[in-house]
Amino acid sequence: MGKPDAELDKERRAFIKKVLNGTIAGSLLLVLPMPITAATPEFPEQISGIRGKKWDMFNQRFAFIVDITRCIGCGSCCVADRREYHVPDGYYRTWVERYLKDFNDEVYVDSPNGGLDGYQSPRTDIDVEIRDTFFVPKLCNMCKEPPCVQVCPVGATFKTPDGFILVDRERCVGCAYCIQACPYSARYLDPVTRTAEKCTWCYHRVRKGLLPVCVNVCPTGARKFGDLNDKSSEVYKLLHEHEVLTVLKKDMGTYPALYYKGLRREVV
Amino acid sequence: MDTLNFVFPNDLHVHWSMMIVLYPYLTGLVDGSFIVAALYYVFGVKSLKPISRFSLVFALAFLSCAMFPLLLHLGRPERNHNMMITPSPTSAMSGAGYIFTVAIVLIALIVLLVYRPTLVKLRNQSKGIMNVLYRVLTMDSTNLSPESLELDRKIIKFLVAIGIPVASVLHGYVGFLFGGVKANPSWSTPLMPVIFLFSACVSGISALILAYIVIKKLTNQPVDVACVRTCINVLAGFFILAFSFEMLEVFSHSYLKTWYHHSVEGLLNGPLFYSFWVWQVAICSLLPLFLLGWLCLFTLKESVFQFFAAAVSFILLLQVLFMRWNVVIGGQLMSKSTRGYTEFHPEWFDKEGILAVIVLMSLPFLVLFILSRILPLWLEEESISS
Amino acid sequence: MKSSYNSHIKRIVLGLVVFAVLGFVGKIVLTPKSFGKYGPYRADAIDEEANQEIRHGTNASCLSCHPYEAKIHLTGLHKTISCEFCHGPYADHIKARKVYGKLPVKKKQEIKVLCLRCHNRAIQARPEEVIKTVVMPEHLEKQKVKTSHTCDQCHHVHAPLKYINRAKKIVGIKEAS
Repeated sequence: MGKPDAELDKERRAFIKKVLNGTIAGSLLLVLPMPITAATPEFPEQISGIRGKKWDMFNQRFAFIVDITRCIGCGSCCVADRREYHVPDGYYRTWVERYLKDFNDEVYVDSPNGGLDGYQSPRTDIDVEIRDTFFVPKLCNMCKEPPCVQVCPVGATFKTPDGFILVDRERCVGCAYCIQACPYSARYLDPVTRTAEKCTWCYHRVRKGLLPVCVNVCPTGARKFGDLNDKSSEVYKLLHEHEVLTVLKKDMGTYPALYYKGLRREVV
Repeated sequence: MDTLNFVFPNDLHVHWSMMIVLYPYLTGLVDGSFIVAALYYVFGVKSLKPISRFSLVFALAFLSCAMFPLLLHLGRPERNHNMMITPSPTSAMSGAGYIFTVAIVLIALIVLLVYRPTLVKLRNQSKGIMNVLYRVLTMDSTNLSPESLELDRKIIKFLVAIGIPVASVLHGYVGFLFGGVKANPSWSTPLMPVIFLFSACVSGISALILAYIVIKKLTNQPVDVACVRTCINVLAGFFILAFSFEMLEVFSHSYLKTWYHHSVEGLLNGPLFYSFWVWQVAICSLLPLFLLGWLCLFTLKESVFQFFAAAVSFILLLQVLFMRWNVVIGGQLMSKSTRGYTEFHPEWFDKEGILAVIVLMSLPFLVLFILSRILPLWLEEESISS
Repeated sequence: MKSSYNSHIKRIVLGLVVFAVLGFVGKIVLTPKSFGKYGPYRADAIDEEANQEIRHGTNASCLSCHPYEAKIHLTGLHKTISCEFCHGPYADHIKARKVYGKLPVKKKQEIKVLCLRCHNRAIQARPEEVIKTVVMPEHLEKQKVKTSHTCDQCHHVHAPLKYINRAKKIVGIKEAS
């Protein structure tokens, strides 16, 4: 017992005030939406050599490699892509196809909802014995000589000096000529913006040193993306060693920058 | 065969719908009627005089409405001026705005110069707002001296002469627009601009013949049979060329049997069997071919000739419409997977729907009617020799 | 004032020239500023695309705030699976703050659907060296487990072999390689 009652009362009051303030503030925190503070963790970089430097527009070389031998048709890539860009239903920036081959060399292909739900069950409409099956992810081939850019009447789709083919949503008139011209069916007309859209290899992520979302979420490493200027990158090694890499529809003369490892002759 | 049908997910939807069928059809009609005008004004085929002016006004009426199908088709029609401001040097479609402007200015000028004596006369006879209109149309000049008429004649001949390549490009670029798409095997052929151009001439001349006979019958006036005979002869010539090229295209695909062209054969024998083989080829090409042969090579009673001339024109108008449908929509039914075909179901009330097509097909006739109140369509009405 | 024999032509030509000049001037005025910087397109569109909202993070960004799950997830065979595939994109989590990506995995057999999305061998296209696959309900029968069991009753979703390996250690079975 040391302090007089009046002082104790004052201390008690101050203490109670503090606790009350704390409780009210605390409970408010639970209820009110918080502004995004600097406590947002940074995304560690996934492609080295991009952050901290000015983007060199003229000397970039990126490659995308799809490894057919590792795709399990889980559809994570399709789901992630749809969420990243709010892609409308019935349209696809990327999709996964399933190929079945029977003993008569007949090929059955399907892509239910673009593989968005993964492949949860075998095909029920085929009653022949199946010899072989595999999955093929598809996306924009980022052609080095793009037919879509060639036919755009207003310059709304174009090839950037860093090798990406993008769509200028402000200038596109929605004529759908680029959609007709793409041999890989990678483009669609967004029914909401009524302009053309397509996979951009997540340009906005690559510029910040992150991988495209589909590459990021692929659990088996079937999708690979990297900087060809970086000699230690996986894509550089694959393109410069003895791996057999092919492209789709080679005779179209589009020179895609999307390569396939383990692609089969049945794939178109 | 359904288990084998595979369409890429983005190929399910047909993007170029009935408006894109209608646009080449309308510019084709312009081309064909311009050919008739050219035959008279440049090549001096005198028997075509009765419809010489009508063909020009007809071309102008249809050209004035030609852009509407495109505006209805565009996802962003409010940005259509981008094609004129930043046209791409490599795109056939970017020429659309400039070619159309040149063509419509050219045809309007030709019409004004051809009609100038009539318009001056009408200016002197009219009052009020029509007077102002005629003053504008005659550039406020009443000079009809022999030198001015001679100058007009020379300029008209020159303008119609350069109008022939302009009209050819106006429709030919559409053919190249399709022919330049390597991703679509039924479109990418060097013959595409040629096929489009010849079938355009077929449709235009048929439309003129049909319109001429129908209007004259409805207004109880005589039909100049020599004129119709010349038109039928020209029509037969263009049709033989158009049909030969169309068939050459199909047969060389099926003979060469390359990987992509197998899917074209599958298209024509599958989803397009009725609209191509039955309608476009059998009913609307082979039948008119024999009818035209009969009409051109044999002498017939005038009333019989007129009836069958109108009938064959109507069938050929259908033929060209089917051809446009089979190329534009049929070509998109083939998936780029080369393994399947998608379906097209025309809607009634879509912005590119059947109702819109009917309205846009009627619009040029409305314009034609309005123009006929300003510019008399027939020379007999004013007994002017020009 | 009487017009001369060619005044109508002169007026037409004048009209055409004015039209062409206006058109040309209009074209120059209306062309966007950054047009032509790199090619026949609007160069500003490149930066507009580059500054789009990034909605997904990376696993490292999730695990930096969730060290408990990190410890488990990074030791298991599911370490290559993206957190955001099951739990929703990073951007939605930040906006919603308290609501996390909820999967339809609670009721009855729902989680089985999610697991079989990758692990169903009946599809035939999944190479054994890439992923272990099973056929249901044979897998449960082989493990002498009720066929109404869901996958997460034996397998920890973040580290699927965690309990399996522990059980085997307890019972004394060596892990098959």
